[in-house]
Amino acid sequence: MNTEVLEIFRQAVEDPGKEVREWKEKKGGKVVGFLLTDVPEELIHAAGFFPFGICGGTVRMDQVEAHLQFWSCSYVRNSLALALDGKLDFLDGLVIPHTCDTTRMLMGIWKHVRPLPFMDSFRLPRQVGRPSAKQYVVGELRRIKDRLDDFRGTEITDEELSQSFKLYNSNRNLLRKLFNLHEQNPASISNKDLYTVVKASMVIEREKLNMLLSELVSVLAENAGTPNDKTKIFISGTFLEPLDLLNYIDESGGAIVGDDLKNGFRYIESDVAEAGDPLEALAERQLKRIPSASYDIPENLRRHFLVKTAQQKGVQGVILLHVKYCEPENYDYYDNIQALEKAGIPALRIETEFGDTSLGQLSTRVQAFMEMVGGE
Amino acid sequence: MSEKKTFKTAQLMKEMMKKYYEDGAAAKERGIPVAWVTAVSPVEILYAAGVFPYYPENFGAVAAARKVADKLSVHAESKGYAHDLCGYARCGIGDAYADEHPIGEIVKPEVLFCCNTQCGSLPKWFEVASRFYNAPYFLLDAPLIGNEPEELCTSYYKEQLYEMISLLEKITGNPFDYDRLAEVLHLSNEACRLWNEVLDTAALKPAPFGFFDACFHMAPIVTMRGTQEAVTYYQALKEEVDERIKEGIHAIPNERFKIYFDHIPLWPKLRWFSDLFAAHDSLVAVSQYTHSWSYSFDLNRPIDSLAEQYTEEFVNRYFDYRLQLKMNFFKKYNVDGFVLFSNRSCKPNAFGLYDKRSILSEKTGLPGVVFEADMSDLRFFSESQVLAKLEPFFEQLGSS
Ligand code: SF4
Ligand code: SF4
Repeated sequence: MNTEVLEIFRQAVEDPGKEVREWKEKKGGKVVGFLLTDVPEELIHAAGFFPFGICGGTVRMDQVEAHLQFWSCSYVRNSLALALDGKLDFLDGLVIPHTCDTTRMLMGIWKHVRPLPFMDSFRLPRQVGRPSAKQYVVGELRRIKDRLDDFRGTEITDEELSQSFKLYNSNRNLLRKLFNLHEQNPASISNKDLYTVVKASMVIEREKLNMLLSELVSVLAENAGTPNDKTKIFISGTFLEPLDLLNYIDESGGAIVGDDLKNGFRYIESDVAEAGDPLEALAERQLKRIPSASYDIPENLRRHFLVKTAQQKGVQGVILLHVKYCEPENYDYYDNIQALEKAGIPALRIETEFGDTSLGQLSTRVQAFMEMVGGE
Repeated sequence: MSEKKTFKTAQLMKEMMKKYYEDGAAAKERGIPVAWVTAVSPVEILYAAGVFPYYPENFGAVAAARKVADKLSVHAESKGYAHDLCGYARCGIGDAYADEHPIGEIVKPEVLFCCNTQCGSLPKWFEVASRFYNAPYFLLDAPLIGNEPEELCTSYYKEQLYEMISLLEKITGNPFDYDRLAEVLHLSNEACRLWNEVLDTAALKPAPFGFFDACFHMAPIVTMRGTQEAVTYYQALKEEVDERIKEGIHAIPNERFKIYFDHIPLWPKLRWFSDLFAAHDSLVAVSQYTHSWSYSFDLNRPIDSLAEQYTEEFVNRYFDYRLQLKMNFFKKYNVDGFVLFSNRSCKPNAFGLYDKRSILSEKTGLPGVVFEADMSDLRFFSESQVLAKLEPFFEQLGSS
């Protein structure tokens, strides 16, 4: 069932540069890459550029040693390694969101080793609870928009922005439907395929993506039926990587029904308002994203969000994925676990790495956890 | 090694710091709220509001210098805080969970003010502490800025200073006293001016004062900037340094080379490093680190001035700006080489150093080296590995 369209997504993840290379050849347009995923992609898209999410890949790592200490997180090491190895040669630009000290420092290194015609940072606010934050984000978005205008040579129009907002909202809406279908009926699409589609959605031309997603959703909806009898799992962390990890959850009869991942549900959870001032709308979306370790409000919404969502969805266990050496995530971990424990929700923490293929040990731990929480 | 004549002011500092900690411990009884604060943040506002500013980073540095950072850290590690997080944070979090307190207990906060110009570790640590001690937490958010100051960032910061002031008014129950702020800013200016005059004497050859001396004498500029005590202290230090210049007393016995050092010292190995450099007739003359506290506030526009100076600090600037800053120091202090410390605790200052080393050598022709260790935790220090990096560097110095 539906394997044809799914196959396109799988291939896009297998070779993330494939779609964008073809697009570039055909259209001759510019590609602006971004690190995941707190970036105003809509602005890049509205300028007519291809927004390309850098989401990891297998690559030789030796060249990166001369530029980044081994104790930097594997996402950033992997991304820079891809650039050094020529695997991101189609990029004309790059936007790095400041999610941590590592991303704050990366731009200088990248500029030095692989300069691109357009390079900018999205300087996220670290506090999102006070009135000052909103004004700042709007200003920062305006600054980035001005730079994109300059790079393109003409100003991005409101009409172009509105088109991009519509397209992105539609894509997110379709992806949310997919999550919904999976939650109602996990047999319709496996965990691995679901998150494969999310990952692919960052590297496929967004207009084409819209068609593919529509097709996928309608095929799946037709086949919906069997009720959910799987073990409900919530995943918390920065990134879901490597995707193969999900095989173990699939094999142990688990269904992921929620997450706060940069390359998961958090990526597509909220939309941009299509009415009103476009930059304000983008700022609003950024500020009300699902809480993450990179910024929070003093009351620590993230912990509450975790517990509340887990309870509402009746999850049987939470798996915390910690990208090794990811500092912000590490600082949240203990209190999150405590909060879950207090609420009587079992949790498992596992350390992951980008580009890691030796998952052997993890499989045992994930399977044991799944057995424990699913065994009633 | 080198028999060093200790500074007379060292005794004064001990007394001052002792009193500072006693005041911190007694603050609560006297009805003065204790506010946690970070090293590069507008503490002037806290002094003006009449709360007691306490620096948990300093607690971490003291634990490191007394070689107990690892002992405190394991208590944090046992909860899942990894040993690659900032050593200060591990000491602070570790102390919260520990039963033993080898350097005394950290002073508990009633409110926490964190400014993130320095790094993203401090806000995460303060968030953890705010939950642990059940005290309100306020973040002064400073987006990284490039070569030119940016109106967007200063006005954002300024807005937040007003938000901070309203919170302080709520906590103290008093309206914020802007006249008092002007006095505090004046005292800060004075202390910073004197401190930088002392630092500048390291440019003399031979010099009476170097980086390792600065590490010893910096506590008041970090923790008491904005008080009369700090001004008095640096007046005394300045006088003593001037005397040394007159009497021909030098920081190291036989100064042949001047070195730039980046950035924080290895606290538990301060003496070892200072002896090692001295043995190679090298004076570590300057580091951007000790120059972090070089403020000069405009008393006529206090809030704007605070916002500008704190956001435009080098710790809050991009790669190119920091490169240029280092080269400016090379020039000003006429250094013969540079040593860059890839400090595992401090990612914002460590990441980029590999490339900076090659760029700096290319641009200046000076020998330079990067070595790996941790500023506070000896588990990540290998004497032989550090020497393997530094010995060839010293040879290069001698042969150029
Ligand atoms: S994984 Fe963590 S450390 Fe790495 S870039 Fe993301 S937030 Fe930063
Ligand atoms: S040592 Fe570095 S990471 Fe730690 S508190 Fe200081 S600036 Fe932040």
